[in-house]
Amino acid sequence: MSKVVIVPCSGIGKSYGSVAREGAYVVTEDLRPDTTQLVPLSLLVLGDEQAREDVSGAQAITIDGCKLACASKMVAESGSTVAHNLAVLDVYRRHRDLKPAGIAELNEGGQKLAQALAEEVVTLVDALISASPLSTLRLRSGQDLGEGTGGRGRAEQDGGQNA
Amino acid sequence: MSDEMLELTIDKFTFRVPKDLYFGEAGVWIRLEGGLARLGLADYVQQRSGDMAFAEVKPVGTSLQPGDEFASIETIKVNVILPSPVTGEIVDTNLALEEAPELINQDPYGKGWLAVVKLMNWEAERTKLLDADAYYALIKEQAEGEVRKK
Repeated sequence: MSKVVIVPCSGIGKSYGSVAREGAYVVTEDLRPDTTQLVPLSLLVLGDEQAREDVSGAQAITIDGCKLACASKMVAESGSTVAHNLAVLDVYRRHRDLKPAGIAELNEGGQKLAQALAEEVVTLVDALISASPLSTLRLRSGQDLGEGTGGRGRAEQDGGQNA
Repeated sequence: MSDEMLELTIDKFTFRVPKDLYFGEAGVWIRLEGGLARLGLADYVQQRSGDMAFAEVKPVGTSLQPGDEFASIETIKVNVILPSPVTGEIVDTNLALEEAPELINQDPYGKGWLAVVKLMNWEAERTKLLDADAYYALIKEQAEGEVRKK
């Protein structure tokens, strides 16, 4: 199967949006670089062809920073399947000791919350991968594994945008 | 504006004020139900506070004087302690808020209620509370003041 697409909130000015993005980076760069791909919401909003192609036909996990749920709505409008949606607020409710603060630079609570969010996302990613009828074949062939992110920086992966 | 509700539209926001409620200045609403008062958070305050993360209400049996904390909320923006607008004793709390504090955002005058209080000094205290028209005027002044600051 194709990689699971991770689309986080791209809002600015609120800690919860920053947690959404940081959690997505942890998943796509650190925890599951071989089976996930980050697609910036900002590129979907702009109608970027590559971003739309990336989400088209893929299973997407969206991470919303607030109840406007822009990530989920935009992915749905782009024709992709939102396999799972996570709201940062819901994750925080499960980890009340990790109160996020800061925006450009999250506090310790925010960073730990992003890690907790990432771990929840990973659980969902693994379930999607294992449920895929092609996963066994492709895992054996290794064709879909080991591609990584090619060492691209986070700002570059985010299209250099944050709005 | 409906028969039951005053509506204040400021910028892109519309704040609703039911005509049949009393209000404390902090934005706690009071609905009389016999000798009891149901308390909740006004639409204006919940919208300004943002998405609810947690809502905690003091337990049944808690005695309250005006100004005593009877509940607190934590949102994505702020932590707010809610003062009781009346004297009384909490006889019921909204347990649904433990699992779904967002009810305060979704339905502040209905399913998002906070507590029911047995009133102890209502006749004396009602004169110090705001009716819908007075509360409407208060939030209008506050909201327009915020807009002028921008």
